[in-house]
Amino acid sequence: MLRSIIKAYNEAVYETDKEAAFKIVEEAMKQGITAEEVVFDVVIPAIEEMMSMIIHDPDANLAQHFMTAQIATEVTEKMLTRFKQSPKIVGTVVMGTASGDLHSLGKRIVMGCLKAMMVSVVDLGVNVKPDTFVNEAVRFNAQVIGISAMMVHTATGEHGCRRVREILKERGLEPRIKLVVGGAPYRFDESMYRTVGADGWAPDGVTAAKVIIDLIGEVRQHDAT
Amino acid sequence: MTPLEILAAAVHGAPAPRIPIFCHLLDQGARELGLSQKQYFSSGEYVAEGQLKLRKRFGHDNVWSLFYVGKDAEFFGCKEILYSDDGSPTVADFIIKGWDDIEKLVVPDDITAHPAWEETGKCLSILKQEVGDTHPICAYLTASTTLPSLLMGMDQWMELLLMGPKDLRDELLQKCSEFLQKKIAAVRAAGANVLVYTTPFGTTRFVGKKRFESFSMPWMKRDLEPGGVDGVVYYCGMEAFNDVIEPVMNELKIGVYYISPLADLTEAKTIIGNKGVTCGVIDDIKMITWTPEETRAEVKRLCDIGKPGEHFLFGTGVMPLAIPEANIKAMLAAAFEYGSYP
Repeated sequence: MLRSIIKAYNEAVYETDKEAAFKIVEEAMKQGITAEEVVFDVVIPAIEEMMSMIIHDPDANLAQHFMTAQIATEVTEKMLTRFKQSPKIVGTVVMGTASGDLHSLGKRIVMGCLKAMMVSVVDLGVNVKPDTFVNEAVRFNAQVIGISAMMVHTATGEHGCRRVREILKERGLEPRIKLVVGGAPYRFDESMYRTVGADGWAPDGVTAAKVIIDLIGEVRQHDAT
Repeated sequence: MTPLEILAAAVHGAPAPRIPIFCHLLDQGARELGLSQKQYFSSGEYVAEGQLKLRKRFGHDNVWSLFYVGKDAEFFGCKEILYSDDGSPTVADFIIKGWDDIEKLVVPDDITAHPAWEETGKCLSILKQEVGDTHPICAYLTASTTLPSLLMGMDQWMELLLMGPKDLRDELLQKCSEFLQKKIAAVRAAGANVLVYTTPFGTTRFVGKKRFESFSMPWMKRDLEPGGVDGVVYYCGMEAFNDVIEPVMNELKIGVYYISPLADLTEAKTIIGNKGVTCGVIDDIKMITWTPEETRAEVKRLCDIGKPGEHFLFGTGVMPLAIPEANIKAMLAAAFEYGSYP
């Protein structure tokens, strides 16, 4: 039964049909599926499937990424209120757009996917100063800082990721906090993320969630040793 | 032949000494005049002077009447632009803060009488007078499907588009399309002869094939049909769009296609053939770190693909300010060399 629910839910997300996706979840719950199963066995696998689809399906598109994140967030928020106990949080990330950049679409997609995948996300908003990224990461004990930049000068400039990297270095925080970037300029030069001092990047919002979760794992492993 | 005649030859497949060579130096104008970006973009005279000086110094074919993309939002009441001396200005205050604001949005009756037009009008007037008979003068047209992102932010626009009420979405699009139709007429009348029509929604990467056909195409038709497609260039903000070239050619009859560096240029040239002009576009973000030799090699690669069969133009993307001047010079020297016909 669960397999057919996942399939129907994925189809609804693929068609960017939010109402249909919600209806499938409601029907599933009527049939005895728990809120935990909806999140962990339907929503999260659907995001993972979208990640794989982005790589393999030439018609996968931004509208689908947006709706994947949007539907996943809304379903998860609704389900969390019905969880028998609070779920285990994978880790914490602070996210914002680089200083001078007000483009928030990519950030919104990444945040939606991360929340559904049980990552605690602190939204720092747009046009965020480098020291704010670091201060807030320390304050919330975040393992990852995510910086979105849609313009070349905000992606590569001195007030974006480069400066955040310098501050992390100056304050000896590099082993504890990883740095991820995303946004259009990085797609045109896939080595740019290294040039600006990031630990990782992703070409789209949905796969960015995976990159961030992997980096959280790295920090956790480092902390454990 | 003048650069304008060379461009016409590329469109018609007529003999010419070389391919047209377009270079989009927008933000570089302020540096050229020794001004801050804010000062530079405050005046049509400055922008025209910057464009003319840059063209003279680097030798490319075209000039631009575009100040910055967000300028269209000023016609709807936006008063806050975020300037940076490292790059392009951007809209800092979205005029649509809630869906209720859409109803209040007013398209000026005569956009050339609006204060937001004044400096663009001055710029175009100078460019027309100085190089209008000899050089391509480019204007930037933000499609109705994309203009809402300048008025409300892209994520809010995606939310309305994908989840909001259709009547409200269409009301906003109608206003944006009406504005665009007026802008097309205004920039043409003022002297622009190359109209770069821009929309990432004109790619299946943004909205998928189904929505491209049911949503993007009808709105593009609505935008362009009243004014016709003379001088119009299809450009999707550096996104790849090879898979929609055929329907766009068939339905919109646009003649010039600005191919993304992320797309397969050989495939695009094969699809377009002699039915239109294929623009080979260099990845100018990589030019920030390339050497002049690497830049030359990429120009040669593009020209080797595009030049056979003519109907080809060399162009750049947004040319970030961080590109070393040596690379701009190397790129243009190579374009003139490898873009020459025997």
